[in-house]
Amino acid sequence: MAVRILLVDDHPVVRQGLRTLLEGRAEWEVVGEASDGVEALEKVGSLQPDVVVLDVTMPRMNGIEACRLIQQKTPGLEVLFVTQHDSPQMMQEAMAAGARGYVVKSNLARDLLEAVEAVSQHRAFTALARNSLSC
Amino acid sequence: MKLRILLADDHEIIRRGLCSLLQGHKGWEVCGEASDGREAIEMAKQLKPDVVILDIGMPHLNGLDATRQLLQHDPHFKVIVLTITDSDQVIREALNAGARGFVLKSDAARDLVSAVEALESNRMFFTPRVNDLVMAGFLDKGHAIVRNEPPDLPVLTAREREVTQLLAEGKSSKEVASLLNLSTKTVETHRSNIMRKLSLHSIRDLVVYAIKNNIIQIQVPPHLNGTTQSTLA
Repeated sequence: MAVRILLVDDHPVVRQGLRTLLEGRAEWEVVGEASDGVEALEKVGSLQPDVVVLDVTMPRMNGIEACRLIQQKTPGLEVLFVTQHDSPQMMQEAMAAGARGYVVKSNLARDLLEAVEAVSQHRAFTALARNSLSC
Repeated sequence: MKLRILLADDHEIIRRGLCSLLQGHKGWEVCGEASDGREAIEMAKQLKPDVVILDIGMPHLNGLDATRQLLQHDPHFKVIVLTITDSDQVIREALNAGARGFVLKSDAARDLVSAVEALESNRMFFTPRVNDLVMAGFLDKGHAIVRNEPPDLPVLTAREREVTQLLAEGKSSKEVASLLNLSTKTVETHRSNIMRKLSLHSIRDLVVYAIKNNIIQIQVPPHLNGTTQSTLA
């Protein structure tokens, strides 16, 4: 069965890039896009994705807050952060908010597909720019 | 014949997004992708694209200095710069460097195709804010903003600006020497000339200078700068 993915980032160009990378996999389907946390929450309800790919810094509601609310609303829905913040502190904050994965934008070509695969199978995947851990 | 475009941005995900936008346009092809300014210059010389799209905030050599060097090599190159900010200083530098297009990254999905179309028809493309600034300069000829260089910038040579960027990125003189194919001694000479010309006394001062003059762009965590928008630097 296809993995249904919701993309959340405030920059259309980044969403377009993510979509291009993810649509290379036949078994994955990008079911929708959102440009901030508020819209993400609405679309989680209406589109019922399996994985939410979420940016941290966004207008109206940031990704960390959105992740907390997504977990309250839909416990167990997998969230993968895709962010420019190559920081262990930010990664800890994201995981504490209920995310299953965290990857940085500068290394997406290397990490994104592996991360989505891990997260869609309920495995954690975290990768800062210089190291990566999958379990 | 297809319009050939060279694309330079240090983030692969942005290149993917931009490529997808540009390749969707009939009659255009992305003939090459570069991940820093130095690579962009090499590829432009080799591939001779019709349009070069350069991100400003790239490592090793930023997009503004790459534009300057590229147009010094061949003034016929048509360059669009991609930027995270349209501050007066960045606009001024981009225009002085010779860019014919100026697109905000946050608006790239909307504006980049229009910008390439403009350059294809030998026109220029700027954001409304650039147009306002140019008009203000035109109306106030005594202080023509576009022609004024920021006071610090002309002091350094192109090579010194390259060395400044690499040192500000945290590289040692030895690493800079290796990247630029120079001897460590030559880099040390550049370094002391830079410090003397700019009256700087430490690498910390150099980093501050490089940030203030858009030679490097830094990423500040959201909780420190209060921003609610990604910067895509």
